[in-house]
Amino acid sequence: MIDIKNLYKAFGEIKVLKGIDVSIAEKEVVVIIGPSGSGKSTLLRCINYLEEPTAGEIIVDKIPLNNESNINKVREEVGMVFQRFNLFPHMTVLENILLAPMKVRKLSKDVARADALSLLEKVGLSDKAQAYPAQLSGGQQQRVAIARALAMKPKIMLFDEPTSALDPEMVNEVLEVMKKLAKEGMTMVVVTHEMGFAREVGDRVLFVDDGKIVEQAAPAVIFEHPHEERTKLFLSKVL
Amino acid sequence: MNFDFALVVSSLPLLLEGAFVTIQITAISVSLGICIGLFAGIARISHFWALRALAAVYVDFIRGTPLLVQIFLMYFALPVITGMRIDPFVAAITACSVNSGAYVAEIFRAGIQSIDEGQMEAGRSLGMSWSQTMRYVIVPQAFKRVIPPLGNEFIALLKDSSLVSVIGFEELTRRGQLIIARTYGSLEIWFSVAVLYLLMTLTISRFVAYLERRYKTDDRH
Repeated sequence: MIDIKNLYKAFGEIKVLKGIDVSIAEKEVVVIIGPSGSGKSTLLRCINYLEEPTAGEIIVDKIPLNNESNINKVREEVGMVFQRFNLFPHMTVLENILLAPMKVRKLSKDVARADALSLLEKVGLSDKAQAYPAQLSGGQQQRVAIARALAMKPKIMLFDEPTSALDPEMVNEVLEVMKKLAKEGMTMVVVTHEMGFAREVGDRVLFVDDGKIVEQAAPAVIFEHPHEERTKLFLSKVL
Repeated sequence: MNFDFALVVSSLPLLLEGAFVTIQITAISVSLGICIGLFAGIARISHFWALRALAAVYVDFIRGTPLLVQIFLMYFALPVITGMRIDPFVAAITACSVNSGAYVAEIFRAGIQSIDEGQMEAGRSLGMSWSQTMRYVIVPQAFKRVIPPLGNEFIALLKDSSLVSVIGFEELTRRGQLIIARTYGSLEIWFSVAVLYLLMTLTISRFVAYLERRYKTDDRH
């Protein structure tokens, strides 16, 4: 589903990604862990070209990310959830969800609306359709952001530290929605510090440090018997 | 000192006509200025350097030369190039809107740049194009933030529109001059003209304050 070959990314002089190779299969849930500044968010953001790679090849759903029209095509297939939600504050929850399906997929308002309402039900926020983002809690905002991404019927969902900006008591409501998605067979790439989630939901865990994938394995393997010293050191600090 | 109230009263219809023309120029120039300014402001932050450069030259030229000179250029210099006489009304409105557009462009640019980058990223990640995201996500939010500076710009434009009197266009200031030429009532007429300008600018600033309040409650942000 996603093929990344020899991916490099530098911001000016600072090299953030130093040769990443990874393939992600359909319906796979891949969790990326690693210390801050290791490049894990940058890696995720390269998949839908929010960051332009310095070198390397990215192919998403057989579409190579090499020109503007392909990039837009890929973005229609790839949903993204941000750490800071990035809901549109001037629109109601419903309008947030309707916008892209109507403008990009050219759905009629009635069709898009029916979809949006069933997505709101799925994330448990049916009663908030007419609310503005600022009236919601962080956890509710993030669930709306997930519904907004799902409204484009993406084949892949990217999560960039979706619970890092949340108060602790709101983390679970968001993780529950993500678990539900994983169970339904959504292909997911998740950057997170939630090791419990990685262990429970992940099919594979990538440990990224200093711009490289240091180690990757099934969660049971990586959490119980990490090979690399750096992985052991990192896990000993976060577990 | 003798203040002739009768002169004020008898001149009022003519002055009000002039004030109405001032409102007309301002309203039309403001509307055109917003359109020009919106595009020029977006061009200022475009990814295409040619667009960016063009917009920068426009803004620099307008902000770096007096409006009075721009009006002369429009009314006296342009016909030399085109070989066609230009109507004072057209010249006045063109000069004012092109002038206002440059200031509005800077207001919009600042407003757009004040919107969190995550908004553009969210729009793009949903598959919307740069211009769709601008149109539906960024600009509506920026618009609310620029209401106060836009209001100031319109007040400034209303006052600056008095400059088009120099090409003989009969707005409020020109009307005042013409009445004084006939009646010699400098004190009464300039005083009345000033009061009329003040009434108009106060109305605009009240209106802007109202808009600001209204959009604030809508946004809750």
